[in-house]
Amino acid sequence: MSPNTLCALLLGAPLAAFLLLAVVPPLRRWDHLPAFLVCGASTVSLVAAAALMKLQVGSEIPVANWSVRWMPIGGETAVEVGWFVDGVAAPMLFVVGLVALCVQVYSVGYLDEESAAGKGRYFTYHALFVVVMQALVLAPNLLQLFMGWELVGLCSYLLIGFWWRKPEAGKAAVKAFWVTKLADGGLLLGLVVLATASGGFDWSPAGMDQRTLTAISLLLFMGVMGKSAQVPLHIWLPDAMQGPTPVSALLHAATMVAAGVYLVVRGWPLFEAAPVTLEVLCWVGGVTAFTAACLAMLQDDVKKMLAYSTCSQLGYMVAALGAGGMVGAYFHLGTHAFFKALLFLCAGSVIHATGTNSMREMGGLSRPMRWTAGLYIIGALALAGIFPLSGFYSKDLVLEALHHGHKWVPLGLCLVTVALTAAYMWRSALLIFAGESRGPGGHAHESGLAMMMPMVVLAIGSIVAGKAFVDVFHVLVTGHPAHFHFTSLGGLGLGLAFLGMGAGWWSWKGGSVGALSSLCAWVHKGPVDRIWVQAYRQALLGFAAVVAWIDRYVVDGLINAVGWAMLRNGTVAGRLQTSRIDQYLMAVAMGAIAFAVFSAMGA
Amino acid sequence: MGLLSVIILAPLLAAVVLLVVPNRSRGAVRLVSLLGATVSLVGSIKVALRYDLAVGGVQMRENLPLLPDLGIAWKLGVDGWGVSLLLLTAIIIFAGVWASWTMKDREKEFFILLLVLVAGVFGVFVSLDLFVFFLFYEIAVLPMYLLIGVWGSSKAVKKAGPLAKVLEPFDLGGRQYAAMKLTLMLMGGSALILASFLAMVLHTGVGTWDLEVIQVTAYPAALQKLLFPFLWIGFGTLAGVFPWHTWSPDGHASAPTAVSMLHAGVLMKLGAFGVIRVAMICLPEGAAFWAFAVGTVAVINVVWGALSAMGQTDLKYVIAYSSVSHMGIVMLGAATLQVDGWNGAIFQMFAHGVMTGLFFALVGLVYERAHSREIFEMGGFAARMPAVAVFFTIGGLSSLGLPGTAGFAAELLVFLGAWKTVWWWAIPAIAGAIFTAVYVLRATRAIFWGPPAELPYPDVRDAQGCEWVAPILLVACILLFGLAPDLLLQYIDPMTLEFLGPLGDRIADSTAGVTP
Repeated sequence: MSPNTLCALLLGAPLAAFLLLAVVPPLRRWDHLPAFLVCGASTVSLVAAAALMKLQVGSEIPVANWSVRWMPIGGETAVEVGWFVDGVAAPMLFVVGLVALCVQVYSVGYLDEESAAGKGRYFTYHALFVVVMQALVLAPNLLQLFMGWELVGLCSYLLIGFWWRKPEAGKAAVKAFWVTKLADGGLLLGLVVLATASGGFDWSPAGMDQRTLTAISLLLFMGVMGKSAQVPLHIWLPDAMQGPTPVSALLHAATMVAAGVYLVVRGWPLFEAAPVTLEVLCWVGGVTAFTAACLAMLQDDVKKMLAYSTCSQLGYMVAALGAGGMVGAYFHLGTHAFFKALLFLCAGSVIHATGTNSMREMGGLSRPMRWTAGLYIIGALALAGIFPLSGFYSKDLVLEALHHGHKWVPLGLCLVTVALTAAYMWRSALLIFAGESRGPGGHAHESGLAMMMPMVVLAIGSIVAGKAFVDVFHVLVTGHPAHFHFTSLGGLGLGLAFLGMGAGWWSWKGGSVGALSSLCAWVHKGPVDRIWVQAYRQALLGFAAVVAWIDRYVVDGLINAVGWAMLRNGTVAGRLQTSRIDQYLMAVAMGAIAFAVFSAMGA
Repeated sequence: MGLLSVIILAPLLAAVVLLVVPNRSRGAVRLVSLLGATVSLVGSIKVALRYDLAVGGVQMRENLPLLPDLGIAWKLGVDGWGVSLLLLTAIIIFAGVWASWTMKDREKEFFILLLVLVAGVFGVFVSLDLFVFFLFYEIAVLPMYLLIGVWGSSKAVKKAGPLAKVLEPFDLGGRQYAAMKLTLMLMGGSALILASFLAMVLHTGVGTWDLEVIQVTAYPAALQKLLFPFLWIGFGTLAGVFPWHTWSPDGHASAPTAVSMLHAGVLMKLGAFGVIRVAMICLPEGAAFWAFAVGTVAVINVVWGALSAMGQTDLKYVIAYSSVSHMGIVMLGAATLQVDGWNGAIFQMFAHGVMTGLFFALVGLVYERAHSREIFEMGGFAARMPAVAVFFTIGGLSSLGLPGTAGFAAELLVFLGAWKTVWWWAIPAIAGAIFTAVYVLRATRAIFWGPPAELPYPDVRDAQGCEWVAPILLVACILLFGLAPDLLLQYIDPMTLEFLGPLGDRIADSTAGVTP
């Protein structure tokens, strides 16, 4: 099949499923039909993505490039939409396709008890998500990327609020939308500046001066900070865990939140040419990686812990990008998608079995849930960066990039984060699976096949993706061959990870890890979330109330005053109409005399 | 008789027929109205199909001298902008008739006035004679007084704050008050417009009202600078330009469903259309002189409208203030005097028209069932009116400019134009879109997607029968023109270039003349 046909299939299959379910309500309520339809469509989409990647691996030029006029800009020229598959887009297509399919199959088991209408709605949103996420990845220009970007945000809003009868879910959905929309204001402005400077939405920096490039890339990065949950715009991601766990795995861990990193990778020519922006990226990434890891250490809610961990890992990627390590950051995006999705699905399996999110109420689950325990530990070790799992390779590339870029402070933060990551992951693994049962989860049992299969697939990915793909990936993205070397930095990272695991074990035993806990507690006191909430409630809503009052009483009040004055004058003027003939005659006479006098004077 | 005359006269004819239909044959009243609206809709679609994009310019001309001694003629013609705005008007009146289907009070008179009003709107968009233009403009504005005063609803606005006492004598929120305020303010605007029109006609030197003659007449720069603000404020009052927008929240809140739909959906566009088509195109040097003021006031509109909407608790007021904010986007696009901005302005007229039409249709449905407009007293309605909830959410998303909805393409073009003209205009404009996300999603969540309300609201149920037509049609338009904005922009864009070409030259000439 030609690459263009493959792209059409890749988008068309989920789009057809979405349209069928969205437009024909009876199909949506037909018990298992939506699940089959959407999983089927995602399978077609994944196969097409795999085929495209295979084609791209053997090709030096983009394998597919097709676009069509969408809208005129600047009068004569037009913005186009379509698809563009090159070495950057191809791996992302595959990762998104694979994780989406895994999560959707898993959801069949996870949402077993949901009503038919609820399941229908859920899978409809999922189909939409696959379409718009892949459209984002396939974008031939930054405008289409932005459109996909906003629409995955919509899917996130819909899926976080899936259980909208819960007040917290609705609040979290709206919060996620607002925070990302605020950031997207910057992104949109960046696109406007870009279009003005270059006449289009391409990611080539040709013909732009340094100041413009810096402004554009900083504005684009503002959007990235919202979508990829970088400090201080990370506040929506922990709340987003109100959504169903498979959604957290797909959107809020593996793919959608990584779209921010993908934007930088896709628009790399723009960012690469703006050193000031890269410096900012590096620092924001380093601070996010460290802060979020500290916060993860303090969580008892397994999903929140994983959410902060996601922030922290996205921080790694952003820091690496800032140090010029585009390939490392992008590779970490891919491996992270596997093991973080795996961890979320395992957590979902545990939550499904025990009915609680709190790790304090779990414990001792390794016996009834042997498989889940094993898979979770694979995920945890991969995330901690233990050799030879995939996380080791990608994390090493990130650290190498920081080292090469001489970004010493961000590198230091990231190294501390390596230890912290291993600590909180190992602590959580022990809390959930080791020791005695502490909660009502006594009769927990292993999840069914629909849930286990995807987890196994992702676990295989988490194990092998590093070793198997690290060199291929480099060729694919940059076009130049490379070979992965072990360095002393890798050894240091591994050592820190083991140290962290020890600390995690100590913390689980009830030991206090002095400096570590006080450090985390100090970070936890950070007022970021509170400042945002106050800014919204007091400043924005308060200001709006004042404006509304001024509009009613001052702006409109003046107009009412004019009306009132008119009425009033009318009354005064009306008094002249006295209806008394003698007064009227008198007035006529006076007028006549005055006229005569004036005429005489004039003459 | 030409197609354009058919589009204008069909609703008028339907109104005349309604005069002889007996009051009690309620079905006949509706059918005749629907027929009138349908003929206009089909006519507008035919106009769009028949309009030759390769040729461009003004097409389907009709010219019938009315008062040759005064230079007045029934001169009609449609250009690329007209095609889009005719379509918008036809869609809204068609949806509006369906949205009034279940109305129960003096329907005959209601439909007569509604049809007369819409005939006026059609007329303005295709008139090429300023006298006829003004006539239609007044026909479109005046029936509003009766429509709101008779069929409107009253809900007292609670007075608060230090100035509450001062406003005691006013019946804020009352329908009579709203109708009176709206009419007086718009009449004030009309007076300014008429005065300017007379000045423009007299200064042509040949005493004609022909718009195509007037738009190529080179008026003295001083006259242009003098007349422009008259037209800006005159038309701007109808477009909701700050601070002359205050008739809009009260008027839209009190008006019955279909009237709000038409008023916010198309009537406000007449104002913006007048500013661009008459003031800016006929008085280019005046426009260039005043553009900075127009654009700055427009961004005030965007932000002020959005913040005021955020400060409301009454659903209809929220939607009405959102119109003020979105019309600011249109005026901002106009003020750029630049191709992206103007394309965006015309497209935003369309996008905002269908979106606000949808909003008011849905608010009507909600109000009819819940008998409440208080946002924070309602809750969890999505369980009992799922389709209405989904449609309302789609309207909200279009309002905040989500890609895939018509609002996005329009706003993007306006932002592009704004940045190119006066860069900082783009910043409050984008902030306005973010504020819109806040108040729209807040209201949507409070009413539909949240915990159930404390009060029972026994009548709340989904749309039924005829009530489906308007929301489905309007949602389809939002998505269709959002996904494929070129469907309309292929008409709008060449026309914008055609208008702007000579305009740029004339502005350049005048500045060249000033600097020796």
